Amino acid sequence: MTTEARNSHPIYFIGAFATGGLLTFMVHLNGELARYGNPLFSSWTAHGTGIIAAIILLLVVHRQRTPMVEKAPNAPLWAYLGGISGAATVILTSTAVNSPLGLSGTLALGLAGQVAFSVAADSWGLFGLPKRRPDRRDIVALGLVVTGAALIILFGRGAA
Amino acid sequence: MTVFILLACLGGVLVGLSRQLNGRLSISTTPLIASFWNHAIGFAALTCLGLFVGGLLPAGAAEAPWYAYLGGPIGVIFVAVGSWVIARIGAVNSALLIIGGQMVTGVVLDYARDVPASFWANATGIVLIVGGMMVSRGRRKAGGSQ
Repeated sequence: MTTEARNSHPIYFIGAFATGGLLTFMVHLNGELARYGNPLFSSWTAHGTGIIAAIILLLVVHRQRTPMVEKAPNAPLWAYLGGISGAATVILTSTAVNSPLGLSGTLALGLAGQVAFSVAADSWGLFGLPKRRPDRRDIVALGLVVTGAALIILFGRGAA
Repeated sequence: MTVFILLACLGGVLVGLSRQLNGRLSISTTPLIASFWNHAIGFAALTCLGLFVGGLLPAGAAEAPWYAYLGGPIGVIFVAVGSWVIARIGAVNSALLIIGGQMVTGVVLDYARDVPASFWANATGIVLIVGGMMVSRGRRKAGGSQ
């Protein structure tokens, strides 16, 4: 577990930023589903339709390209539990949203939790991913993004 | 109140944890396979929970518009790209960029839908976010400080 060289090819940055945009639409659509049903139904359905979409995509991709060999050794069993963590998120956040915190408070605190975890994850190389000690630049960048996001969440969006 | 604050923070931690675990799985498989397992295991867990507490098939669900069901397929792409990216640029940079993308499109969507919003708060927020992303990207050219 050594500190790896950073791979800063623009494609990763563009990809991450673009999926952040997708997340906005996903949250909106899942919110619609929860409005007609409930948060559990929304998350359950999204996971169910996601399975179907993943299978279709896998069939398409694997038909075109031969599956790669020479991968890292088998994943430990706990690496398969990301879905549990994701499913639990829905329950926690939909509980918090219906408290005095409201949507903006829940989003802002969730942001804080996510940032604290990501700094810890990179610093210690948690759960088998490469260790990348965050340097001053990372912290400055993170500070700017978090401040900007907090401004938008707390004072900008939906005009309170 | 303290309980709700902790719950909301924990929600964010779980988002990061999920991305970290899926990222690890994608190293041994592929990002798309990691996304498949994320959804399959999540679906199984939610099914068990729903059978236990009820509410899996609420009454009004049939009236939801068809496009509301597209959140799932979008989620597959979201998880796959997140797993691909986190193994290459790390958790901090992934979180930073995904949050940035989410905020910027959120603001754009609000204006497109005529949701009243505070222009100055949003504009300042976007300037800070774009500034942060530029600082993060500028690393290599700055002469490889670590």
